[in-house]
Amino acid sequence: MTDITLTVNGEEKTASVPPETTLLKMLREDLNYTGAKLGCDVGDCGACTVLVDGIAVNACLMLAGQAEGKNIETIEGLSTLEEYHPIQKAFEDVASLQCGFCGPGMIMSTKALIDQGEELTRDDIKDALSGNLCRCTGYTKIIEGVIDAYEEITGKKVPETNPRAA
Amino acid sequence: MADDVKTKEKTESLESLRKADDNLRLPTVPERTLFPKEIGIAPAREQTPAVGQRATRPDGRMHGLGQTKYIDDMFFPGMLHAKIKRACISHAKIKSIDVSEAEKMPGVMATLIGKEIPVNSFGPSYQDQPLLADDIVRHAGDGVAAVAAVTEQQALDALEKIKIVYEELTPVYDPMEAMKDDAVKIHNGESNVYSSKTIIKGDVEQGFKDSDFIFEKTFTTQMVEHVPMEPHASIAEWDANGRVTLHTSLGRITLGRADVSRTLDLPINRIRMIATVVGGNFGGKNEITTEPILALLSKKTGRPVKCVFTREDEFISSTTRHPFVMEYKTGMSKEGKIMARKVRLVCDGGAYCSWSETTLGKACILSAGPYNIDNLHVDAYAVYTNKTMTGAMRGFGAPQVCFAYESHMDDMAKELGIEPLEIRFMNAFNEGSTSPTGQLLEAVVVTDSLKMASERFGWKEWQK
Repeated sequence: MTDITLTVNGEEKTASVPPETTLLKMLREDLNYTGAKLGCDVGDCGACTVLVDGIAVNACLMLAGQAEGKNIETIEGLSTLEEYHPIQKAFEDVASLQCGFCGPGMIMSTKALIDQGEELTRDDIKDALSGNLCRCTGYTKIIEGVIDAYEEITGKKVPETNPRAA
Repeated sequence: MADDVKTKEKTESLESLRKADDNLRLPTVPERTLFPKEIGIAPAREQTPAVGQRATRPDGRMHGLGQTKYIDDMFFPGMLHAKIKRACISHAKIKSIDVSEAEKMPGVMATLIGKEIPVNSFGPSYQDQPLLADDIVRHAGDGVAAVAAVTEQQALDALEKIKIVYEELTPVYDPMEAMKDDAVKIHNGESNVYSSKTIIKGDVEQGFKDSDFIFEKTFTTQMVEHVPMEPHASIAEWDANGRVTLHTSLGRITLGRADVSRTLDLPINRIRMIATVVGGNFGGKNEITTEPILALLSKKTGRPVKCVFTREDEFISSTTRHPFVMEYKTGMSKEGKIMARKVRLVCDGGAYCSWSETTLGKACILSAGPYNIDNLHVDAYAVYTNKTMTGAMRGFGAPQVCFAYESHMDDMAKELGIEPLEIRFMNAFNEGSTSPTGQLLEAVVVTDSLKMASERFGWKEWQK
């Protein structure tokens, strides 16, 4: 067993875990942050996406030990009792999520993308979410949700593209 | 006047209800997106104002907050984790299973093999599928033993220590081979064909004689896995009063409850099924998988037992969409009118029946397409093979045959030099047509829909 200390959503947390424990397992089972989901356990589906020092990573591929001392953000850290996060609001309003299992991962990937502060096009969004799979929606509404959230947060517009030209 | 008061009261009570509802929501409560209040009633066949409106989902907020509790997000005191040993051999006789080494592994609390299950068979049409194979393995994803341990890793390690001796049998993978009389019989019956259906309408042979052209083509489709984002998962708890509580990601809990009752040989009123939010079903979570196994492991250990499929389990052992072999023969007049059609469908059902019989029926009914055909003959067969079993998946056999008859239609249009849309207009169902099974069709708008759709997406422009 190894003692691992990391910061989750601004709070310092410590847990004693076996060395093979992934960051995802530690978050879910030892620290009770069940927002990040286990979908494939091999880094294909992105349901386990969390932010490690601001970068979106598949928590199922990262060992808990590698996250020692790092700053982790999970879906639980976005909203507070007073404030609802614009990405979550946009996803709810557009009905981006059906079964919802991919949701936390999608939202964290979106946050990492918007936090970069760059001008976005539809293609950038598709690129950034390419590591997050969804089986219900066909992605259209998820991309709409990301665009709404981006426009809400930054006040910038995502250029319209002709789908046939793409 | 009285009406006004009533309406006002109604609105108030609705609003107080909504408020009460909103007060329960955490964390903050943003403004709700609602439908316009006055929707009005649109005349028949006109677009209602609801179409094109944005609707939110009642569970959308919980999903977005990451607060929805799927099975894998639930933990109970003392809960154990179970894992299933897969055969990884597609056709074999089990000579022996030795779990003694596995039971000695650290953290292992119990093991289970097929012989310990009271009634080791289930299935919606035929009860031909074992929960854990006890005698014969019929496909590589068949479970052969289960282990419950304190952690998932310990359960996985223990699986490696289970010793099984197999006697290999000849496998059959091709449904056409499996249909032959001399093929290996997968379920010891007289034939591997376990369901067949026929539709006969008019006189096909005469129809072919009257046709100017005959077209023949064979179409095949592949197996498709549902790949729900959430793998199959369940938690079972057998309590001291002999009652079983199952938290499960099953879509059809009432059917599942009957299956659990049958397999555990327990009265149905002793089984409580709690369905949770499902992370994607698509038809793949319509049947029980591990639920009775977990219940028995829980009975052995006196603790709740959870099992979440690995992605590998999901691919090799859960149901998939049926692969079909579809032989089409169609007689056409010079003008492009379908005179006769003969269809032979072979549905590769995999190792167990599951929903194949139902799927076959639907495929059979729809195999002629939405076209007026006076002379029709459809033969359909569902066949056992030593592959991952097939079951319900969106469309239930319809997408496979649709691919075949529409591709066939395009081929014929090309050969005859007729516009693909035109050939469909000429043959499509219209008001008062009868389906191949004799159903009188009303409110038929195939032609209108095709016309409108082709105008909207620019069919003519794309043709250039």
